[in-house]
Amino acid sequence: MPEVSQLSRSRRPKWHYVAVGVVLIVVAVALTVAWQILAAPESVPSRAVGPARAVAWFFGSLLFLLLIAGLVLIVILLLREVRLNERQSNFVSAVTHELKTPVASLKLYLDTLEYRDVTPDRRAEFYRTMRQDIERLNGTINNVLGAAMYTDRPVADPRPLDLARLARRTVELTVNRYQLPKEAIRYVGPASVRVAGDVRALETAVLNLLDNAVKYSREPVEIEIEVWGDADGQAHVRVRDHGIGMSRTHLPFIFTRFYRIGAEVRRSRTGTGLGLFIVRSIVKGHRGTITVDSPGPDRGSTFTITLPRLLGPEAEGDGASEAAHA
Amino acid sequence: MPRVLLVEDEEHLAAGIRFNLELDGYDVETIADGLRAVERLAPPPEVPTWDAGPAVDLVVLDVMLPGLDGFQIVERMRAAGNYTPVLMLTAKGLPEDVVQGLEAGADDYLPKPFDLPVLLARVRGLIRRRDWARAPAEGAALVRVGAAEVDFANFELRKEGETVRLTLLEAMLLKLLVERRARVVTKAEILEKVWNLNPDTETRAVDNFVMRLRRYLEEDARNPRLLLTVRGVGYRLVAE
Repeated sequence: MPEVSQLSRSRRPKWHYVAVGVVLIVVAVALTVAWQILAAPESVPSRAVGPARAVAWFFGSLLFLLLIAGLVLIVILLLREVRLNERQSNFVSAVTHELKTPVASLKLYLDTLEYRDVTPDRRAEFYRTMRQDIERLNGTINNVLGAAMYTDRPVADPRPLDLARLARRTVELTVNRYQLPKEAIRYVGPASVRVAGDVRALETAVLNLLDNAVKYSREPVEIEIEVWGDADGQAHVRVRDHGIGMSRTHLPFIFTRFYRIGAEVRRSRTGTGLGLFIVRSIVKGHRGTITVDSPGPDRGSTFTITLPRLLGPEAEGDGASEAAHA
Repeated sequence: MPRVLLVEDEEHLAAGIRFNLELDGYDVETIADGLRAVERLAPPPEVPTWDAGPAVDLVVLDVMLPGLDGFQIVERMRAAGNYTPVLMLTAKGLPEDVVQGLEAGADDYLPKPFDLPVLLARVRGLIRRRDWARAPAEGAALVRVGAAEVDFANFELRKEGETVRLTLLEAMLLKLLVERRARVVTKAEILEKVWNLNPDTETRAVDNFVMRLRRYLEEDARNPRLLLTVRGVGYRLVAE
């Protein structure tokens, strides 16, 4: 069907150039091999071999090698560009969808309220729906702003804060946001584990992890969040879900900006491909690390944030910013 | 009561559209997954059609769906011989997206966010246009175009013992040309009447559909003798 090929062509045009590059490399290698066989000093009768021929053979071979190296470099750069391009266009699709869907829903319900006779019960239901749409819209906006705001640079003004308390608060927020039963997210950990950092940023990071855990869970939602501190000066937050997990091939890429698993047009989960990128930026800004593990599809995922722990007298001082925030 | 199948995975939109369509007297069925939509609309041949569910008069189809996207659903529907009119809804509203949707086989296209009255008008319009395309042309049940015989009631074109199923857009385009036989129909008019698009829209869709009709009607589609191009104006079906 011509229409089908037109569709796929417009979606990924640059792959053709990569294919051309690969063909060119193959041709260049074949030419080099032919040159080696035909022009090598041993391949012609001994009387014809002069120093000039040997020099020509040497420089010719060098030129061919340079040509191949250049082609390989160009193809690698092109490949990178194509991948980035694809991720960016997926991102544009995702953000378009994430912004337009709640707007479309809000508009539809506003129009309905304006043009139709709606019973008070229905009206209350519509208001609830519209409020959820506004929440979703706000979440996407925060995500896009967060990606621009949180960079790998160290936090400007780190304050002592309680990671355990922060984790419990994010559990509460997530349970309320998704209207989950209280037992859906289980907190395991001590009363207090102290680190230094930006409480708002770290809360965003942990919220993003919980958000993903809920989004990629199956019913009933079952999530554990564990906080603990090591004697060797490290604090950890681990979020584990029992959801759809992922295959190992995706693991190295999931913290990359705009990365989403699967084709955007067949989206199955909401999101912009920015959430985990933001988490990684925030954690890096706190001189920490983030790791992910999944035994495979349908076997859940585990994310672990590790941060430098505050020990000794410094840990005792209560962060004013945290108190104000809580 | 016309039956509308709504394929939309966003719960809020699905509930809102359903509420409004039901108020307008449609029987609404909703599906939230691309693969299930295909099972319903393009069931494999071994499944008796009555098992898939009651016949549908119109499909309102989202593009971004889990499982299978809207473009592929329309393509599979058409390939399986299901020519139910399709109204596509999507967040992508650029002109080329509209054209892409129409070329994939949809009959109308509405970008999100949309106005409720416009959505309802499009739904009514598509069902009406289908009824118009189905009505007999030139007062006869069967219309002759060259060597072919067109049965608009069943969207079928028969030529030399072979039967071609026409899509709604193909049927409407042919109907417009037949009703104005021997006169020129401008491209702008075709875009407006058949595609329900702004007459200024830049698209090759009309040319592509004319080409398809030529493949059905002409001996040699590249040297048309029945469906002629009037350069810079439009198209004309020659008088019998």
